[in-house]
Amino acid sequence: MYAPEQSISNEELAGQLGLEPEQIFKSSGIRRRRRASEGTTTSSLAAKALTLALEDAGLKTEDVDYLLFGTMTPDRFIPGSSPAVQKALGLREIPCLDIRATCCNALYALQVAHALVASGTARNVAICLAEIQSAFLDFSPAAGTTSMLFGDGASALIVSNEKTEGALEILDIHLATDGTYVDDLGIRCPGTEFGTTRSHEQSEYAEDYAARMVGQSVILQASRKIVAACQTVLQRNNLQVTDVRWMVPHQANANLLAQVARGLKFPTAQGGVISVLEDYGNTSSASMGIALDTLRRSGRIQSEERILLPAFGAGFTWGAGLCVA
Amino acid sequence: MALPQGVTDYLNENAQNNGGGQPAAGDDLFKAGVLDSFALVDFIGVLETETGISVPDSDVKPANFQTLEAIERYVESRKG
Repeated sequence: MYAPEQSISNEELAGQLGLEPEQIFKSSGIRRRRRASEGTTTSSLAAKALTLALEDAGLKTEDVDYLLFGTMTPDRFIPGSSPAVQKALGLREIPCLDIRATCCNALYALQVAHALVASGTARNVAICLAEIQSAFLDFSPAAGTTSMLFGDGASALIVSNEKTEGALEILDIHLATDGTYVDDLGIRCPGTEFGTTRSHEQSEYAEDYAARMVGQSVILQASRKIVAACQTVLQRNNLQVTDVRWMVPHQANANLLAQVARGLKFPTAQGGVISVLEDYGNTSSASMGIALDTLRRSGRIQSEERILLPAFGAGFTWGAGLCVA
Repeated sequence: MALPQGVTDYLNENAQNNGGGQPAAGDDLFKAGVLDSFALVDFIGVLETETGISVPDSDVKPANFQTLEAIERYVESRKG
């Protein structure tokens, strides 16, 4: 993982957003978030995270034969951000694919990478997950309860056909989507449905260019769909929730993570639910990787322990992955 | 149709925990602080267990659970 150095506390942000610092913490579990300096590109964060991940995996850049990049805050509208990482790190002329499954990007990328490796199409798939959300957020009181949540950061994962020491094995990934809720979370413009700067003045459609989040709908649907996805993965692998030692969810909101743990009856007494929300906020695509890296580096994962990876994002799309150490 | 005791017990306990009294049939449970988005998810679990109905995700919206009367109507519609 890689996170920009600058950390913005609730105390620094709250006044601007028309909120109280403790109110932000109470409703989200977030105390601070990282922020990239102006002009930083999302791909540059991703390249730093991938460099660290390759070192960790004992691989060289020439070993990477497929690159996936999940982000909802790309460097450019076209092309995707993966070519920028390919160039920055001097990767070979390999396939580079951007994924737009928002906060589920890590799960989608893992499923695609797993399939690529299983089919023999690739041996080492590099996955970049990065966001610079601060560049797109409205830091006025009108958007306070949305903008208080998000942070900048990057993570990277390597899916390989060879298991190395300390690596995790992907057992299963379940993903689902219901486009009914497409307007409850996301950004409408620019696009062919609501228009572009060619068809209208951006200032007249400011709301369509800003992040939209119907919080109640997100909470209600996420709370149920994440639990159902976890149960699906457990059932089809003949496992009980008590067979899982760690839950490393997409870091959306501490109250949502608690709700999911409660819904699953996941044992929380031994700190099994990994949250990095307090320090990093919601880093969307990058969040699951940042949490997973934090857990791995803590040295707490023991051999044979199972890890559940639930996520939920705009679409709505949601799912759960299952790994074993 | 009266709601099962377990359902009303859950709501009354939530009301008490939030410093309120027992909600009346037409009281807005969200405005009264008996339910919020997170509590509604737990409440639906209680409702499903106590009444035997299944609440599809598409029905998980506050309007269906705004008052005791609305909840009764909803349960009847799911049983019917």
